[in-house]
Amino acid sequence: MGRKKKKASKPWCWYCNREFDDEKILIQHQKAKHFKCHICHKKLYTGPGLSIHCMQVHKEAIDKVPNSLPNRSNIEIEIYGMEGIPPEDIKEHERQKTGGGKLSDSDDDEPAAKKKASTALLGPGPSTVTPGILPTPMGPVPPGMYPGHMGMNPMMQHFMQAPRMMMPGMRPLFPAASVAISTPSKPTFPAYSAPPTTSTSTDLKENGDVRPPPANSCPLVTATGAGSKIVHPPEDVSLEEIRARSSRYRPKPKPEAPSTPIPSPAMIQQSTSSSPHECCSGCSQTTAGSTKQAHDGCNGWHDAQPGPSACACLTSHACSACDASVQYRPSTPARYAVAGRDDADGCHVPGGHGIADDAAALPVVDRSRRTRQDRHNSQFRPPQERVDCGTNGFVTTGSR
Amino acid sequence: MTVTRVAESRTEFKLKSLPEDAISSIKFAPKSNQFLLVASWDCSVRLYDVSANIERHKYNHELPVLDVCFRDSVHSYSGGVDQTLKMFDLNATSETVLGDHKGAIRCVEFASEVNAILTGSWDGTVKMWDSRVPNCVGTYNQGNERVYTMSIVGEKFVVGTSGRKIFVWDVRNMGHVNQRRESSLKYQTRCIRVFPNKQGYVLSSIEGRVAVEYLDSNPEVQKKKYAFKCHRIKDGGIEKIYPVNAISFHSVYNTFATGGSDGYVNIWDGFNKKRLCQFHRYNTAVSSLSFSHDGSALAIACSQLDETQIEDPKPEDTIYIRYVTDQETKPK
Repeated sequence: MGRKKKKASKPWCWYCNREFDDEKILIQHQKAKHFKCHICHKKLYTGPGLSIHCMQVHKEAIDKVPNSLPNRSNIEIEIYGMEGIPPEDIKEHERQKTGGGKLSDSDDDEPAAKKKASTALLGPGPSTVTPGILPTPMGPVPPGMYPGHMGMNPMMQHFMQAPRMMMPGMRPLFPAASVAISTPSKPTFPAYSAPPTTSTSTDLKENGDVRPPPANSCPLVTATGAGSKIVHPPEDVSLEEIRARSSRYRPKPKPEAPSTPIPSPAMIQQSTSSSPHECCSGCSQTTAGSTKQAHDGCNGWHDAQPGPSACACLTSHACSACDASVQYRPSTPARYAVAGRDDADGCHVPGGHGIADDAAALPVVDRSRRTRQDRHNSQFRPPQERVDCGTNGFVTTGSR
Repeated sequence: MTVTRVAESRTEFKLKSLPEDAISSIKFAPKSNQFLLVASWDCSVRLYDVSANIERHKYNHELPVLDVCFRDSVHSYSGGVDQTLKMFDLNATSETVLGDHKGAIRCVEFASEVNAILTGSWDGTVKMWDSRVPNCVGTYNQGNERVYTMSIVGEKFVVGTSGRKIFVWDVRNMGHVNQRRESSLKYQTRCIRVFPNKQGYVLSSIEGRVAVEYLDSNPEVQKKKYAFKCHRIKDGGIEKIYPVNAISFHSVYNTFATGGSDGYVNIWDGFNKKRLCQFHRYNTAVSSLSFSHDGSALAIACSQLDETQIEDPKPEDTIYIRYVTDQETKPK
């Protein structure tokens, strides 16, 4: 019989051409050598199984079967033991071993029913290959036999049940099964979670462009419920516009504004007065009082921003919105010093003062929240020596 | 943001000599996956040779650059906060100022159908420019709302504005708006990209949501439109919802990648409502995405855009080039 002839050749591993005495050992070998995930060391059952595992679990694409021969590294072929090996490779292997092409007749004496079952289950791909149903030295594997090594993977085992029950007495067709599970395990597409939004917007459509919807006019709220938070500034303006307000992205005034004289040694004392509001982006000083001393003649949009208040430093900073040099009077005397700072691009810039609403209410303690913004501002000064006034009053050299 | 670092694999690498500030836009060249244009907040536009991983050209604007595009492999156009549209000849390394807007230029696109450049600005208009000489062909009001995003494929030109309006134009006839729509998403429009097959467009908002819409106004077709949630992370009982900053289409398969401020990139099959894959988490927000013309490579720009305003150690601005597989991009 054809089967006997086939049995004469030992099971071998398609990936590395190694021969084994027993297909069980071959399968163990493949799982350990070729189907093991290099990240979590989980042993998968087939090449595609490994690839899907890596993609879904580790988000990494695998394009080759590990430890395989260069021409046998195809990860898309489903091979499990001797199952799924392309027929031409089997013939080639036989030829090399025995020098004969004896396989041609072996196909014919398979029981027709079994053959049909296997093709149906395997679906496309290795369906032309029948060696899967060949009796191995183990003989046909009873259903109870595999859980032994499937115990490693309870999930998998669960999925395996179905195909095995369908054809008792046959060996479980792992390749087919592993592909089958991959499909339902795909993340469900959260498609229909949106209808409420659609309905509201269609109502608005009638009014045309006049009335901005409520969500638009007021600061963004987490309308989706208490348990969620939109990671976005409260203002409903694009991130780019908010960012572009920062002083470092504003047109540079002509370098006419000279560096301010350094008023006192490098000691900074935070103003701890009662109602501190903002920090001056130029000198990182906290200012007291809400005296918004917008100078005359500047109608830059920074005026419209609530919040920016007088800067405590006695120096004159250039207004970057109008290129004017402005003298600010502090409302509370504050001792401060800024050493070696290049003040060319000015202070009192609203962007530098942060997004108005929540910033205005910040207590002094929250200065730490603002330091990044401050640093931004200082970053964009001409690149020589940047000095950043930290919260703790130390003067640090800014570095990126 | 806690970030798990994943070792760089063969399929993905980082570009060298990157801009010194946040990356606003990246675009692959129209006919090769070798060249990538990068616009940045450091006021520069850079051209990278991706295969050699070197910076080939660089030119500057006076202020941050918000968008850039190719006309052909040797001409680039860029605009930004300085309100100026510049053309750069990459062979001659010469730059030409084509004109300006009254506000910052947020988007720059090339309309191959009419061989023109389109710019969208925060001054509430879109302008069309002759792509060779400084000549503004026309100015088109977008409902007096700041232009936040636009996309063009063939003659289909879609503009998204600050007031969540969507204007659908036909670039061959810019005399009137073809369709005027309201975004189906409740929150600020972040990005719009037209399907390469021109059937519709994908729209994302700052509230972790993406809508797939169809241009055909036939009610039967309109029934197919839908929206879904994404780019959200459950963190200690609170669901953080991130803006979806970038969308890029795979030109062959009509699948698309989305990038969010959560640092994830997802690839979706919009027609079958399936997520095809999710990449590992990047070090910071994904600010821009670009598939190469054949869809074999995806450029991923990672830059924090002050979404949270509290993150102190500013994450590095990086660009990754990822060679994607069919498994990741092809509808199943």
